[in-house]
Amino acid sequence: MGNKQTIFTAEQLDAYQDCTFFTRKEILRLFYRYRDLAPQLVPLDYTDKPDVTLPYELIGSMPELKDNPFRQRIAEVFSADGDGNMTLDDFLDMFSVLSEMAPRDLKAYYAFKIYDFNNDDYICKSDLAKTVNKLTRNELTPEEVRLVCEKVIYEADADNDGKLSLEDFQRMIVRAPDFL
Amino acid sequence: IWIFHGFYAEEKLVASLASMSTSERSKAIQKMPETMKKKREIRNKVLKEITKKSRHRCTQLSCCTECLQGTVVRFRRFGNSLSEHFHQLWIWHRALKIISAEFGTSVLSYFIFLKWLITLNIISFLINFSFLAVPQFVAAEPNNLSFKGLELITGAGYFQQTVLYYGFYTNATISKIENGPSYHMQLAYIFTVGIYFVICFLILLFSMAKSFCRNFINPQTYSGNASKLLCTWDFNITNEKAVKLKQKNLSIQIKEDLAEVSREVLSYSVRERVIRIGIHLVSWVASLGTAVAACAGVYFLSINNLQLFVKEHKNDLETQAAMLVLPIVASLLNTSIPFFYSWLGHLERFQIPRQQIYVTIIRNIILKISIVGILCYYWLKIVAASESQCWETLVGQDVYRLVLVDFIFCLLGSFFGEFLQRIIRTTVCVSRGLPEFDIGRNVLDLIYAQTLTWIGILFSPLLPAIQMISFSIIFYVKTVSLMMNCQPPRKVWRTAQMTTYFILLLFFPSFVGVLTVIGVTVWSLNPSEECGPFRGLPSMYAAVAEWIKMLEKYTASKWVVWIYHNLITSELFFFILSALVLIITYLYWQIKEGRKTMTKFLRKQIIN
Repeated sequence: MGNKQTIFTAEQLDAYQDCTFFTRKEILRLFYRYRDLAPQLVPLDYTDKPDVTLPYELIGSMPELKDNPFRQRIAEVFSADGDGNMTLDDFLDMFSVLSEMAPRDLKAYYAFKIYDFNNDDYICKSDLAKTVNKLTRNELTPEEVRLVCEKVIYEADADNDGKLSLEDFQRMIVRAPDFL
Repeated sequence: IWIFHGFYAEEKLVASLASMSTSERSKAIQKMPETMKKKREIRNKVLKEITKKSRHRCTQLSCCTECLQGTVVRFRRFGNSLSEHFHQLWIWHRALKIISAEFGTSVLSYFIFLKWLITLNIISFLINFSFLAVPQFVAAEPNNLSFKGLELITGAGYFQQTVLYYGFYTNATISKIENGPSYHMQLAYIFTVGIYFVICFLILLFSMAKSFCRNFINPQTYSGNASKLLCTWDFNITNEKAVKLKQKNLSIQIKEDLAEVSREVLSYSVRERVIRIGIHLVSWVASLGTAVAACAGVYFLSINNLQLFVKEHKNDLETQAAMLVLPIVASLLNTSIPFFYSWLGHLERFQIPRQQIYVTIIRNIILKISIVGILCYYWLKIVAASESQCWETLVGQDVYRLVLVDFIFCLLGSFFGEFLQRIIRTTVCVSRGLPEFDIGRNVLDLIYAQTLTWIGILFSPLLPAIQMISFSIIFYVKTVSLMMNCQPPRKVWRTAQMTTYFILLLFFPSFVGVLTVIGVTVWSLNPSEECGPFRGLPSMYAAVAEWIKMLEKYTASKWVVWIYHNLITSELFFFILSALVLIITYLYWQIKEGRKTMTKFLRKQIIN
């Protein structure tokens, strides 16, 4: 039914449908969005799996991400090389997790990675300080930031090691229904 | 060694995925927090494992299994593309996305609630139309009245003799063919209305329970700070201004928390405290007094309204216009008094801004409940006992007019409240910026309209269709008004909790009240002698009693009679049922308490 596209093989589309939360049409629409960022770099034929990576500057200029204070971290977390340069696979992965169909614990897992600026699998005080500054546009004084970080760690840290692990974070998310 | 461990874990994962069904497998793969490349590898391994297994099983029928697999894959692709087309039918999906992007999820919750109400009304319309209106069309009497345009607003005149009102329905048994299957209109009417309310009750109960389960925060564990920081960022917003606003909000909130300028710490002198309590008392007296005055006004106006029907039967323009006075006054009171309440709220200067929102909402609820209550009292006590020919149709017409005028006032309110305010604020006084979308007031308007519809279903079965159309128009008007005139909300609005409260409000005062009204009507009021499906019976419920008596003659349906006598009409059964429900609730509560103690104990162990 409508198998007229020539960008992907049927098996590739099936694989994408199984691995993301998107339907066939949405995957194709996302491909066109990806291509629109750099039409000269992205070929129209993905059947032979070309190795195309778009630099972070193009990804960060998308209207959905442009105003998000965490766009750089989001791109870094989902990119394969950790620098924010994304292939089509990373691109689809990112939007799949950010979509409304992804379950909350999957989003919580990635949110933890986004907030973990130094990639050490723990949210320590410096990570929290960077998060607070991004959320408040650097309007708080360093002293206030320090106090906020201490409060957060005091409240959420269950095993008292001075930083938040993934389990602490997930426990906090379960209690907070406003998390999106 | 740990590489070997990794391999072993992956083998286990592949084996467990291979043993699941196809849809479960897709869901499990989608939920895995891995990169796309890894997921594709695992998926390929799983597929290889499955083909290996199936080849193991039937080696002789290998070509058949391949055929079968090919067909299964093609079937799945077909199903997928079908569901994609179905997705396009998700009306307003795009509009909702844009609203949440520009204004955040708190405003979105109003529109989702509106969409949910529209779906509920569509279900009601389908049930009533198929079971009541369609059979009635078959046995319809010709309509002798002429159609003038005014009927659309007043609901009287030509519409009196259509399926719109209770009075038109016949009390006979309809059968098109002689000795063919017959359709007993009396029973159909009462059972359709009864089953519809049971369905509504179940839908509301399940939505409320689901909402509570997901969203209700135990106030002890919501200590605030950590969640406030890490969990309340609204990632849906893509509008630059909205993002900046949210960031400013968050920084102000954090600063306030840190400096602890919350007014609880500030202690007032005794004299100041007495003055504050005095101000609160005075404003409560003022608001309750306005509500009582509004009710008295509506009551006297409605008594006058009744005289119009009973005394004169002229159909000229004057009487038609006079019929509209009651609904217009009721809607006017409903729309203007909430503004008075917000002004009172500003005057009172509450300590915590959230208290002001809650107090204003509670006052609005009291006002709306009293107006609806007075109208129900008037309809059930006075109209039913009057000497009019067909009191149920009168009530149906009243509800129709109220619903229509309320809809018109809602549109006007949107126009004046938002459009004019924007023009005033952008041209005359630029200081306060664009108006905000008042979620509380708008949701209460929706709940009021839905309550009226529910009350009117017994007397005018096609009312949900009208409400469906009016809610859809309101959706479009509010969306356009929101985009053009409003700015994102400044106050922090705990969306998830408020959604729970909306559904709770819909259920508790609104639905339960309606059930009481319908119960009183069905059980104790005399239906009119000359019209409607229950003419001549002492009460509407007597139709069921008569049917049971008739069933007693047939031995095949003795069990129905037994159920009726021993379960539905016996008080002992309901007593036992309530006792069982209480016991189960108590048991669950004790289990919850036990689990809480266990969690505290385990947490202490982790820390130490």
